[in-house]
Amino acid sequence: MEGRLANAWRLTANDKSFIRTALLSEIRIDGRKPYEYRKIVVKFGREDGSSEVQLGQTRVMGIVTAQLVQPYRDRPKEGILSIFTEVSPMADPSFEPGHPGELAVELGRIIDRGLRESKAVDTESLCVLAGKFVWAIRIDLHILDNGGNLVDAANIAALAALLTFRRPECSLGGEDGQEVIVHPPEIREPLPLIVHHLPIAITFGFFSNDSILVIDPTHNEEAVMGGRMTTTVNANGDICAIQKAGGEGVPQRVIMQCLQLATAKAAGITKQIKEALYDILWYHLLRETTLETGELKCTTQKEL
Amino acid sequence: MTNQTIMLGGGLRQDCDAISVMKAGTLRFSKPNKYWVESSQKRYTPCVEDTVLGIVVDSKADNFLIDIKGPVLAFLPVLAFEGGTRRNIPKFEVGTLLYLRVVKANFGMNPELSCTDASGKAAEFGPLKDGYMFETSTGLSRKLLSSPTCPVLEALGKKLSFEIAVGLNGRVWVNAATPDTIVVVANAIMNSESLSGAQQIIMVEHLLKNIQ
Repeated sequence: MEGRLANAWRLTANDKSFIRTALLSEIRIDGRKPYEYRKIVVKFGREDGSSEVQLGQTRVMGIVTAQLVQPYRDRPKEGILSIFTEVSPMADPSFEPGHPGELAVELGRIIDRGLRESKAVDTESLCVLAGKFVWAIRIDLHILDNGGNLVDAANIAALAALLTFRRPECSLGGEDGQEVIVHPPEIREPLPLIVHHLPIAITFGFFSNDSILVIDPTHNEEAVMGGRMTTTVNANGDICAIQKAGGEGVPQRVIMQCLQLATAKAAGITKQIKEALYDILWYHLLRETTLETGELKCTTQKEL
Repeated sequence: MTNQTIMLGGGLRQDCDAISVMKAGTLRFSKPNKYWVESSQKRYTPCVEDTVLGIVVDSKADNFLIDIKGPVLAFLPVLAFEGGTRRNIPKFEVGTLLYLRVVKANFGMNPELSCTDASGKAAEFGPLKDGYMFETSTGLSRKLLSSPTCPVLEALGKKLSFEIAVGLNGRVWVNAATPDTIVVVANAIMNSESLSGAQQIIMVEHLLKNIQ
């Protein structure tokens, strides 16, 4: 018990009152303004569908994989989207290994709702054989470092991974047309997922004195703030999801102000994600051209 | 080859006739015969006579339990204050920041701290009021305490007036009249770890220009 006490991260009473006092003069401890985001860096791995996002000191890795499964009974023509979050004590000493705490579950739920309810990923195009085979897309989010505001970073990681993911092309064959043939990537170029829009999660922190509002709270600010709200909006101004779990109450005009701020920020972040994708798309383009001009002379008719 | 007795400090070990290095870091030498390896970590190994910044975690009958970023919590006896008797035991709330001296630090035992210097006087030890505390590595704390004064502190001191307390356990406390001075000093110190002296001065000038 004492070992864990020694490792815990603590905030002094001095820091708590300093963060509040500084916010009264609109100063945050890392020098940002109240409505400023930290620097976002989006990196991609070598495999399709893996991304790593850094939001200041917070780091999250997203991995997307797909599998052919049987669809749900009540939705025979739709694919399946599921999100799994893994937090390890490497990210924060308060995380316990194995058992995902409340924070991890809530994180997964917010991102899941943002993607699913807004129909950002087109699930009907994931259907291969209605009622029998559909693609199940699985997004794994690994929290590597908790520097505050995990939800936003994890959301960007999930989106970046979804945009670079390629699923194998498959066609129906066999005698009765009921057999699914999955083409390997060397024979047929894998296909991207159809993503209609990018729902971006923006988290706000509320401080009780004079209803001060900050965007993108850091770890220290999260320990001091009275309440938080995450709004998921896209660049078109559509609200995809809002999450406010407990914390202090806020008046309605503050919520409207948050939504307006969020829409403005979402446009900027969407542009950043798309710019980061640009380099990766070049890589895919080069890969496609070599496939066409490469040794595809012997198109195995039995497979196509 | 002269026969010389050398003293091996932390990070060096003698295996029969050979001396081997046990930690990654810079090899340092101090006249006449001391060698040791200096490295920078985020966690602290308590050493006697170090001055550290501790956070009160709990108070028991005889001791306060203090977190000094070491492997275990440290004990601060309730009487280890100037003029401390059973009648005037100070009341520290959980989360109070204290400037302390390490009195005993043995492997496997909880370190013991004190709020007085070796002769029993208070000498700046004790609770720190207001200000802002942030964590650094142990190497940066040593650089900040070295003499001549570290370039970043000198450059900041020329333009701003502030007060700092540096703990060798990788904690630094800053206090100043206005919050933006505190924020500038804290960020300048945090950024200065991997920069050379000249780069530190340029970085400080850059930060100061932004707030003017």
